[in-house]
Amino acid sequence: MRHIIKPLFRHRMMPLLVVLQVALACAIACNALFLLQQKLVPIVTPDGVGHPARLIVASRIVPRGAPWSTSRLYETEQALHAIPGVTSVSVAASLPMEDNVRVGGQVFGQGAGTKANAAVYIGDHLVDTLGLQLVAGRDFSAAEQATRYKNIGVSNSGPTIITQALARRLFPDGHVLGRVIRIGDIPDAGRRTVVGVVAHLMRNVMSQDDRSDIDYSMMFPGIPGHWAMPSFGVRVTHAAMAPAVLKAVKTTIQQALGSDIVVGIEPNYQRYAELRDAMLARPRAAVWLLSGVSLIVLLVTVVGVMGLTGYWVQQRMRQIGIRRALGAQRSHILHDVQLENLLVVGTGILLGMALAYAVNLWLMHHYELSRLPWTYLPYGALLMLLLGQLAVLSPALRAARVPPVVATRSV
Amino acid sequence: MFDYYLRLALRRCRQNLPMVLLLMLTMAVGIASCMTAMTIFRALSGAALPGVSPYLYVATMDAREALDKDDPHYTKPDSLLKLSDAKALVDAHRAALQVALSQSLTQFGTTDGRKSTQAYGLIAYGPALQTLGVPLRYGRAWTAAEQASGAPVVVIDTHVAHKLFGKDNVVGRSVTLGKRSFRVIGVYAPWKPRLQIFNLGQNAGSSLGQDENFFVPAQASLDAGVGPFSSGECGKGGDTPMISFQTAAVARCRWIEAWVRLDTPAAVAAYRQFLSSYANAQHDAGRFVYPPHAQLYGTQAWMALHHVMPDDVNLNLMLAGGFLLLCLVNVAGLLAARFLRRQSDVAIRRALGASKRDVFVQHLVETGLLGLAGGVLALPLTWLGLWIVRMQPVSYARAAHFSPGVFVLLFVLSVAVGLLVGILPAWRVCRLPPALQIKIA
Repeated sequence: MRHIIKPLFRHRMMPLLVVLQVALACAIACNALFLLQQKLVPIVTPDGVGHPARLIVASRIVPRGAPWSTSRLYETEQALHAIPGVTSVSVAASLPMEDNVRVGGQVFGQGAGTKANAAVYIGDHLVDTLGLQLVAGRDFSAAEQATRYKNIGVSNSGPTIITQALARRLFPDGHVLGRVIRIGDIPDAGRRTVVGVVAHLMRNVMSQDDRSDIDYSMMFPGIPGHWAMPSFGVRVTHAAMAPAVLKAVKTTIQQALGSDIVVGIEPNYQRYAELRDAMLARPRAAVWLLSGVSLIVLLVTVVGVMGLTGYWVQQRMRQIGIRRALGAQRSHILHDVQLENLLVVGTGILLGMALAYAVNLWLMHHYELSRLPWTYLPYGALLMLLLGQLAVLSPALRAARVPPVVATRSV
Repeated sequence: MFDYYLRLALRRCRQNLPMVLLLMLTMAVGIASCMTAMTIFRALSGAALPGVSPYLYVATMDAREALDKDDPHYTKPDSLLKLSDAKALVDAHRAALQVALSQSLTQFGTTDGRKSTQAYGLIAYGPALQTLGVPLRYGRAWTAAEQASGAPVVVIDTHVAHKLFGKDNVVGRSVTLGKRSFRVIGVYAPWKPRLQIFNLGQNAGSSLGQDENFFVPAQASLDAGVGPFSSGECGKGGDTPMISFQTAAVARCRWIEAWVRLDTPAAVAAYRQFLSSYANAQHDAGRFVYPPHAQLYGTQAWMALHHVMPDDVNLNLMLAGGFLLLCLVNVAGLLAARFLRRQSDVAIRRALGASKRDVFVQHLVETGLLGLAGGVLALPLTWLGLWIVRMQPVSYARAAHFSPGVFVLLFVLSVAVGLLVGILPAWRVCRLPPALQIKIA
């Protein structure tokens, strides 16, 4: 070991540069990969919507002046339902992947002492229209779906269907059906009784950085009252019918509401699959950017370590020759160079981890990012060590090939 | 001497071309990523209205007049005021200039109904053009008397003038706005804030300012049925809508922002005092039901609060900076290895009488040259980076353009980078005494 460590201290510049390089690469790559993982969450999280190609979403239908009356929205819903090929229609305050409006906030599990930040979807046939998978309990009854709220409906009491993730969070003991969720922390807040649980339903907050609650959603039945930005979800029987129905939806809504639509905001009619694609374009772009950066960072580091070690080995040709002449085998030399790299890169990694953590703390403070999970550190370390070994392989092999005769050669 | 070093450097670069190309490429990639991030950062930072916005402040207070159990907490400063409050603030004349503003989108038409165009603009109470520093090309702004009497006058930009009348100077002509005909009293060249500053509470998502095609006095505009574009908070209860769009029935809504121009810190402090006492008086009188938390925000602070520059931009800049640093360390290391390999050349030159300084300068010339070459290579890479950004679905995509300033910055940066990374290796090479160097050789 000593014959490896000593020269490192005698010629400090080369090892120092490698240490610095590895530390920087480590800090950048750890944070870039962490950001990447954050951006990946909405892309890989199931949104709960079944057969996305069969769902048509009409959004940004904004009334000029006073909001549409509930009865008018109901009539529009009926008209949409009459289009051939339509199986289910839902007027909603907002829909997944549509972030013009977000309804949600703190909810409390009554009797369980738990709370969570959850999104609220208000609509009258959401389970059918979105094609959600009911895993426990029931859908809203016809009577419940006929609810007409005076206000939006968030603070009203009634039934609710929640996601499995939210159920687990609010009622860790597993008994969910029939339990009560309090909406907000004021004494006269609405109380919602859980009647059903769905597998997944993604909330429509895309920009949030704490992604652990991305599947925390709840649904209320009925039509939101005095709602200035309603959306319509329309489900068709076959994906092949979607384009034709989309056209019909457009004309129907234009006929029913067109005269009062705001000037300057074009309503948006899209298949859900396309809407989802468009909404995920930004995180997807960020994922490409961050993975590109990470890759280049690692590549640059490998090249750098390779170049430096190459020189470092070349400089010690004579010493290596002498050691070979004194009986060291090729594998000894190879292992020595690899061990030396392990030490230097390891030091760099330790420094880099501290740096990564410091950078993350700083980012947390300034950009409301979440904490870098410590599980990143061993993975990052392992990756860097492997890359270090990869980088040193060719110089090490070259060193091992040095013939003992070099020792006797005068330079 | 310099051109000798230059020739020397060129010759040495030719000796190991792959290595030199690798160095150049590493440097170029680092510089290009940094330049791309910096271009976007520069486009989205700085003053929204150069020369004016550093002195502009928006007044915020919790002016809700009814208890709202769905939203009892005041978490984010709110700039929306009722017209009556905004008028009171403007009419108090406690600042150098003050105006109440709200974004609007409406249809402009000629009185014969032949031509029409949609236009964004501002509904204003107070001397809007002076406060924001909009230079008029023809005509004048509205007077206090016209504003008070609700006279139907409007100031438009040349874009609208051209669309409707086919020429710039249309002062004195009439246009239809809402239900009434308005007289054009002034025309200005297309004008917009560089960055979004108005109605930020509702304009989430857009970073770049948009053309403001017209300015119209508030009373006349409402009388004609032209209201604010974005949602106003109209209070709840009964059958009244809480949020409504493009309505002129805003008497019960909070929809307009008060902006003031204050030139000195003392004036800012005094205005803050005035604002606070106004809001507290309203609260004490029972109008504002919540503690008003009246505050004055500078344009910059207001934009920061509403993330006009998306966090991504900052993060990318830091990422790019870190990446450039890594590239520098990398290049410095590779250069050191490259220089030290040729210690024997240096030893001979030193023995023949070259001073340490000569050797140092010679190596710096070589790295400077490399830096410059890296900069040249970074140019297309930066262009490529900006092109990629323009393809992205982000609100600032159209800000990603190569500008001459960026060009200059890029070359300064690349030469600086070249010299910076050269210092350590060059110093190492010339440190050994000549005798020892010859011995090594």
